[in-house]
Amino acid sequence: MPVLPEYSLTGKTAILASAGGADAPLLAQALAEAGAAVFVVTRRQEGLDEVLAAIGSPADGGHDGIAVELDTPAAVSEGLAAFDRRHDRVDILVNDGRSQFAKPFLEIDPEEWDAVQSRNLRAAFLLSQGVGRRMIAQEYGRVVNLISGLAERGMVNGSAYSVSQAGILSLTRSLAVEWGRYNIRVNAIGAGWTSAEDIPVEMQLQEQLVRYIPLRRKGHPRDIGPLLAYLCSEACDYTTGQPVYVDGGLNAHP
Amino acid sequence: MLERLGLDGQVVVITGGGTGLGLEMVRHLARAGANLAIAGRRTGPIESAAAEVKALGQDAIAVPTDVGDSAQADRLIAAAVKYFGRIDVLINNAALVSDSAPTPIWEIADADWQAALDVNLSGAFYCSRAVSRSMVEQGKGKIINVASGFGLRGGRDIYMYCCTKGGVIQLTRVLSFSLARYGITANSIVPGFIPTAGTDSDIREALPRSGAYLPTGKLGRPVDIGPVAVFLSSPASDYMTGETFTLDGGGLAGGLAPTGYAPLMSLEP
Repeated sequence: MPVLPEYSLTGKTAILASAGGADAPLLAQALAEAGAAVFVVTRRQEGLDEVLAAIGSPADGGHDGIAVELDTPAAVSEGLAAFDRRHDRVDILVNDGRSQFAKPFLEIDPEEWDAVQSRNLRAAFLLSQGVGRRMIAQEYGRVVNLISGLAERGMVNGSAYSVSQAGILSLTRSLAVEWGRYNIRVNAIGAGWTSAEDIPVEMQLQEQLVRYIPLRRKGHPRDIGPLLAYLCSEACDYTTGQPVYVDGGLNAHP
Repeated sequence: MLERLGLDGQVVVITGGGTGLGLEMVRHLARAGANLAIAGRRTGPIESAAAEVKALGQDAIAVPTDVGDSAQADRLIAAAVKYFGRIDVLINNAALVSDSAPTPIWEIADADWQAALDVNLSGAFYCSRAVSRSMVEQGKGKIINVASGFGLRGGRDIYMYCCTKGGVIQLTRVLSFSLARYGITANSIVPGFIPTAGTDSDIREALPRSGAYLPTGKLGRPVDIGPVAVFLSSPASDYMTGETFTLDGGGLAGGLAPTGYAPLMSLEP
């Protein structure tokens, strides 16, 4: 089956940073399958091990990574120093800023609020600064931020998480406009209700939430992998500052 | 998982497929393995497009069609089903471009308004209606509507194009929500300014000469739409419906201040 060469990432190097959630291994697989060398940044070693297990160890794939909490410029420097030991150029930055949290607004501790904003939004801010500096110098880059549809909508108990997602969406638009002249494209993929497990549809449909989704199943990281590859490709040259929602039709829901 | 971006033998019906963005979509779809029914009002361009598809090793038919006439839209869909046996993807791309030349509202005649509604909005509705039954029967299908950034923002003295393209985006949402239960998805492609060949001279007159005012600093090229059309036609987009896929040089991401406006403000004490 012919797949257009436009979607290829051969010869490109990607940094994939995950704030949490279960999608990172398959997102890394999509980038690797498209031909990119992938450098993974996770908050915890466990998460890093999972992703590298999915795409191959540094010894056999050219893929590598580091576990570091990206909450200060020094932490970003540490991550990029590890990157520099393996690679000499970064073409692609993928930020998965979806560490989830849900609690009634009145019960949220300030520390919890700050932690959600830090993992999801502050990390995206700091890493985009560190990587963006390099992309501007080389006048090329593709940035894709993974966000939730809650960037656009409200949900009971979702305030802290939604604010972080709306922040990343706004960062996406701002950087697209600010960096467009440097041949850097910045887009977002908005996911709906997802599960990285393969749960039979009949079983999923026992959940009211799933019956609410127009396509009547949860999303899977596989549903966004090919789109991620395209948005990271050179061929994606005229789309920038846009969220592309892959959410089973939720955004059209009345 | 990237093999899902292929279109191995899928049947795509595209309106306005002989020229401009439509022709570029035809070329990319054929390269990705699609067979095509190509519709357009003029025979020459669609036959030439069909010949290109065949030269790429895929099958194609050219079906002269004015989609603003529902009987002709019905005949297009019937001809494609008869020839190929099924339709996997419908791309509603046909649009009157001449009406996008800015015209003050008081100079717009009823007939001009109606002609744009007929082709740009009713045409997409007629073709979607015609294809819906067979897609429901096969339990799968994809409808792709080509809208415009003008469907989301205003354009000075651009009444018909803005209103009909806004309608197309809403048609997409209603189709997606209504047909999801039958395995049918619907999405919009939202192009910004992408100058096309000399055949579209009317719209070129209305377009800016450069993309200097866009965040990317340049206008789009027709080829930019190709991989987006292939993605939305392919199984790789199966979980995406009711959405817009924008390619506009970043115009819609900004717009509250003119290009080049870059203020500096210190934090207040």
